[in-house]
Amino acid sequence: MLDERSAKALQQDPMQIYRNKWNQNHRSVSSKYDILGFISSGTYGRVYKAQSLETPTNLYAIKKFKPDKEGEVVTYTGLSQSAIREIALNREIDHENVVALKEVILEDKSIFMVFEYAEHDFLQIIHHHLQTVRTSISMSVLKSLIYQLLNGLVYLHSCHILHRDLKPANILITSDGVVKIGDLGLARLIYEPLQPLYAGDKVVVTIWYRAPELLLGAKHYTTAVDCWAVGCVMAELLSLRPIFKGEEAKLDSKKTMPFQRDQLLKIFEVLGTPDDWPGVVTMPEYYNMSRLDHFPDQLTQWCIQRVRKDALADVNDLLAKLFTYDPESRLTAKDALHHHWFQSGTKPTKNAFQTAPQKDLPPLRKVSQDDAPSMIPLLPNASHQGSRGGGGVPYVTGASGQSYSKPLSSVSFASLSGGGSYEGRQMDGSSKKKKAKLG
Amino acid sequence: MATDFWASSHFKRWIVDRATLNQARSEDLLYVDDPEYLEYLGIFFANVITKLGKKLQFRQRTIATATVFFRRFYLKNSYCETDPFIVIAACCYLAAKAEESPVHIKVVVSESRTLFSHTYGVKTFSSSDNSKLAEMEFYLVDDLECDLIVFHPYRTLLALCKKAPGEDNSSEEGEAEDEEVGVGIDDGPRYWGTGQGRLELTPAALQTAWSIINDTYRSNLCLLYPPHLIAVAAIYLTFILHPPIQPEHIEQPNIPQPRRSSRQASHGTAAAQAQAQSSQPKKPQDPISFLADLNLSLPLIATISQEIISLYTLWDNYKEDTSPDATKLARELTNSPSPTKASGSGGRASTGTTPAAASDDMTDAEGNFITPSFLTSVLIKMREVRFLEHARATGRPIAINKRLERAQAVG
Repeated sequence: MLDERSAKALQQDPMQIYRNKWNQNHRSVSSKYDILGFISSGTYGRVYKAQSLETPTNLYAIKKFKPDKEGEVVTYTGLSQSAIREIALNREIDHENVVALKEVILEDKSIFMVFEYAEHDFLQIIHHHLQTVRTSISMSVLKSLIYQLLNGLVYLHSCHILHRDLKPANILITSDGVVKIGDLGLARLIYEPLQPLYAGDKVVVTIWYRAPELLLGAKHYTTAVDCWAVGCVMAELLSLRPIFKGEEAKLDSKKTMPFQRDQLLKIFEVLGTPDDWPGVVTMPEYYNMSRLDHFPDQLTQWCIQRVRKDALADVNDLLAKLFTYDPESRLTAKDALHHHWFQSGTKPTKNAFQTAPQKDLPPLRKVSQDDAPSMIPLLPNASHQGSRGGGGVPYVTGASGQSYSKPLSSVSFASLSGGGSYEGRQMDGSSKKKKAKLG
Repeated sequence: MATDFWASSHFKRWIVDRATLNQARSEDLLYVDDPEYLEYLGIFFANVITKLGKKLQFRQRTIATATVFFRRFYLKNSYCETDPFIVIAACCYLAAKAEESPVHIKVVVSESRTLFSHTYGVKTFSSSDNSKLAEMEFYLVDDLECDLIVFHPYRTLLALCKKAPGEDNSSEEGEAEDEEVGVGIDDGPRYWGTGQGRLELTPAALQTAWSIINDTYRSNLCLLYPPHLIAVAAIYLTFILHPPIQPEHIEQPNIPQPRRSSRQASHGTAAAQAQAQSSQPKKPQDPISFLADLNLSLPLIATISQEIISLYTLWDNYKEDTSPDATKLARELTNSPSPTKASGSGGRASTGTTPAAASDDMTDAEGNFITPSFLTSVLIKMREVRFLEHARATGRPIAINKRLERAQAVG
């Protein structure tokens, strides 16, 4: 049928016709978007701010997953589990308080996920208040932020999605003050899993936000791990500092999971040693835990020092319920949404910044120009950007000296926002803030 | 999503009509002698996916997801313009990730290479061709429009039916994934049916329903109908093969499975019989009204059932070593729905165990079965002709360096 040369060509590249058609029909990122600047990078790749060429007022954050291996020649190495998850889950979900995926473009051996753009994130708010405003976040803003966060989380949990990496940097806020849960790179469906959750990812959730059952080595866990993280985030908004700022014990040479002693101690120092958690004795690390010093419950004192009187009782109660040790009795996101706090005093607002004075509004997200050109060709400098041990996202700030540590899993976790870099934030100021304020 | 099919990408974007299916094959029709071959190719490729999935130790749901990916891909593409074997490998590789049970790319390549070359003489993967597979995965994700979460009838089956109590042999469960690993699973309230709980099926009947669902992936049913309707059709057909037990049938020894009765014998035959007898009459469930109370369109269920039977009729002419049970099911559903025959093997189409009786049925029958090797040759011919036309149309022999071209196009 075929002459020898044709047969050989067909054998060598059996998908040639397909590939030609694909190339013809493909619309490239650069044909649809104008890259405005570089936002952040992480182990997963890089995030850019972009505007639609069709409708330039529409802003997007484009997350580019870098090809798995970056040698001299980039070859196809297979899409990462993390990318597959984030794509698959984002294609199914639709909620006001979860970052919306506009489209995915596959090109140049990389995945480009085009998300709606969010100007702020929780971490940025915290830093702004810590360093610039120098007061705590107003209670009405805080209440709205937490309410919307819970509202998004209720949705995710109703879809049987565990987020597994809630932390301030991953919770975004639009310029209209709407909270958007971002970064589903570590999230997964827990409906009828074919394998135990533990089998896929040995370590989930950034250490400071990691629930006690995870710290104690639980093989099975539930949506309650996200609710614990919400408690941590809420406490951090209240005090502008992580409430349980432990040191992560790293994997040893034998790759056995280490006992997270310091993180547990940080928790016990505030919440006391667990005494109302029947299942704790079945935890793999129970023996190690039982040898730690005994602590009393100090959460109420913690709250008294940080929360004004009128909200104290409610805030204390909500935190105590989110910080319930026993995951089975921990407050669910749905029940948290119905907590008395949200019904009393000022009600949560759709625009979280509605009542905030001008000076409290955080600055615009910083983008840098110099990295932007790398968007179009392959990234020559991506490998030394942000894959540092601290987790890639370069949001170590000079002032606070914080550096978050990441989950030990190889899966990327950093957020869309990633926190960016904070230097110079004050400069690009609040010109665009009026809208948010008036809204 | 996980709970709400109606809000899923599966429902919103991937349930298509017959016209779309026909359109999808229009290019292939130009290059094939008999349109029916395309139907057989559908069976053939699904079987290859199942075989590869078994080699990769996939759960049934992962195999099903891979098959759905494959069929969705060929809604947009033609067999003759692609290498379906590469696509199959990529579908398996991707489905494993989508179902959160990933397999290393090296393993997929090596298992695919062995299976394709040894069983079908197809040399798709030469050596450790990882990038070839990864490239295909890349295109596949694009053509799937990144919709990677797929609903399957298995879930509906297990939501609607359960094994009759008192017969706890989970070993025979096989692929039935009714053990929900992990906690925090909220089944949610059932808002259909009688609310009186699940329908009790004998283990053999449940296995038959499960196998029928497996078999539906040999056709385009998963693109045409929502999975819950396919599940109900499978339950309906199961009732034909395993009629609900009537009083006069109780004494017949051929209803329970041979394996179980032998096991019970060790405990004392009299006791076992007494137990069996006492357990039978306490079933007040009426399967007919159960189905009716599901409040689904029964004509639609009947249509789907009819299409499953048509699949079996078609499959009857297809011969592969591991499909005798399907043939048997086909015989029973199309010709003689006799419960005595049905209860024997429970029709496990994809296990590869071959009951002797079934083999006797079909060996040397007419000799004009459609076989994998025949279909492989059909496919090769289609692709060669298409390739020649393409080469002629583009006015140059064959582009040598596509990579270079792509780089230029992108740059």
